[in-house]
Amino acid sequence: MPVTTAFSTKPAPDAVRDLRAQCGDRKPRAVIFFASPRYHLPALNREISQAFPEACVAGCSTAGEVVCGAMLNGSVVAMFLDEDVVEHAAAAVVEDVSLGTSVRDALLKLEQNFQAPLSSLDLRTHVGLVLLDGLSGAQERVMEELGDATDLFFVGGSAGDDLKLETTHVLANGRLHTDAAVLVLLRLKTGFDIVKTQSFKPTGKTLVATKVEEGQRQVIEFDHRPALDAYAAALGIAPEQASSQFFRHPLGLMIEGDPFVRSLRDVAGRSIRFYSHIKEGMELALLEATDIVEDTRAAIEAQKTAGQIRGLIEFQCILRTQQLQDEGRCGQYGAIFSGIPMVGFSTYGEAYLGHVNQTSTILIFR
Amino acid sequence: MAGQIKQMIDSIVEQRANGNPTIALTTKAKLALKGVNPGSFSETSPDDPVIIAKIRKIAVDFGVQLGSNERK
Repeated sequence: MPVTTAFSTKPAPDAVRDLRAQCGDRKPRAVIFFASPRYHLPALNREISQAFPEACVAGCSTAGEVVCGAMLNGSVVAMFLDEDVVEHAAAAVVEDVSLGTSVRDALLKLEQNFQAPLSSLDLRTHVGLVLLDGLSGAQERVMEELGDATDLFFVGGSAGDDLKLETTHVLANGRLHTDAAVLVLLRLKTGFDIVKTQSFKPTGKTLVATKVEEGQRQVIEFDHRPALDAYAAALGIAPEQASSQFFRHPLGLMIEGDPFVRSLRDVAGRSIRFYSHIKEGMELALLEATDIVEDTRAAIEAQKTAGQIRGLIEFQCILRTQQLQDEGRCGQYGAIFSGIPMVGFSTYGEAYLGHVNQTSTILIFR
Repeated sequence: MAGQIKQMIDSIVEQRANGNPTIALTTKAKLALKGVNPGSFSETSPDDPVIIAKIRKIAVDFGVQLGSNERK
């Protein structure tokens, strides 16, 4: 099989030997791994890179790992992409993202590695992965710059740290980074698809952000009223009850009928802080939750109908993971991916065209 | 006056997509994420100078030119 997966719950360095053994004698072109922050990540990263010297190796820390539908904690999961799927792969790092470092140098390195301008690459067979420091607060800017610079698709997520909210790591080319983004560019033999799925529908009510602190991911006013009051009024509840509805009623930037979810984080006075930027003047739909398992199943079934899935990487919001755990539905969710080689992790934000919340972004290898 | 915003958006999408419908869709999405949702503007939308300035900045970000087809 050209796409295979492995996982280990052993301590390092046995974990890496375990992964190497599961890979067998194949020589993957790319190794994508996601590791619990319980590992000593500098050592783990170094050992994985040494174990796969001919591969492009990249990964990040997590808030929980996923392999073939099974949700794990305290493990390392890996996907091995052989030459039958990946013709060429390269990774580059954008450092100091919170200080505003441009993505252009990293993209230039990828161009040099691929010996071609990004603009000349076939969009059907080239795709990017993006792994971002989940605590940098720079995800929107990085994604926006990527979108400005290239029409190639980048899909991914923000690294986690088991909800400690202390430090997250991204890893590439044998080096470990914080406050950074890893860009992995893949040239695929048989193409790909991207799924963005979130389990919300519009209520029909909208809120316009009329005063914001964009850098703080904070909305001060919706519709010229204190944000908390306007949000509560839209739901028909008292402001003091509003935070209990944040999870089931996030807001969505509606694009062609598809919500790009902005999750509400907490209340600051009468303002509301979010997990992603909201721009002044932006009209947002008040959303209501639907069924994660059914919606995701429908999305994956549609992809199965469209053609063979050789493997997939899922970037799943930690809030979705928590909901599935709270509802005891991890098994049902995992069964959606039965028979498909897959890895993923629970993220601090998902990436596709922009930075989104309470979403699953998925790269499907055809 | 009305309609300039839609005209500018259409020009950006057309230049960036260069006939590729997938890029046209993603360019519209990127515009929305930058704060200018193409679905919110029509030929009758008023020429709001704040929005127009925002779109001119986006055109620079995208590396496209808003030239003679767009009213100044």
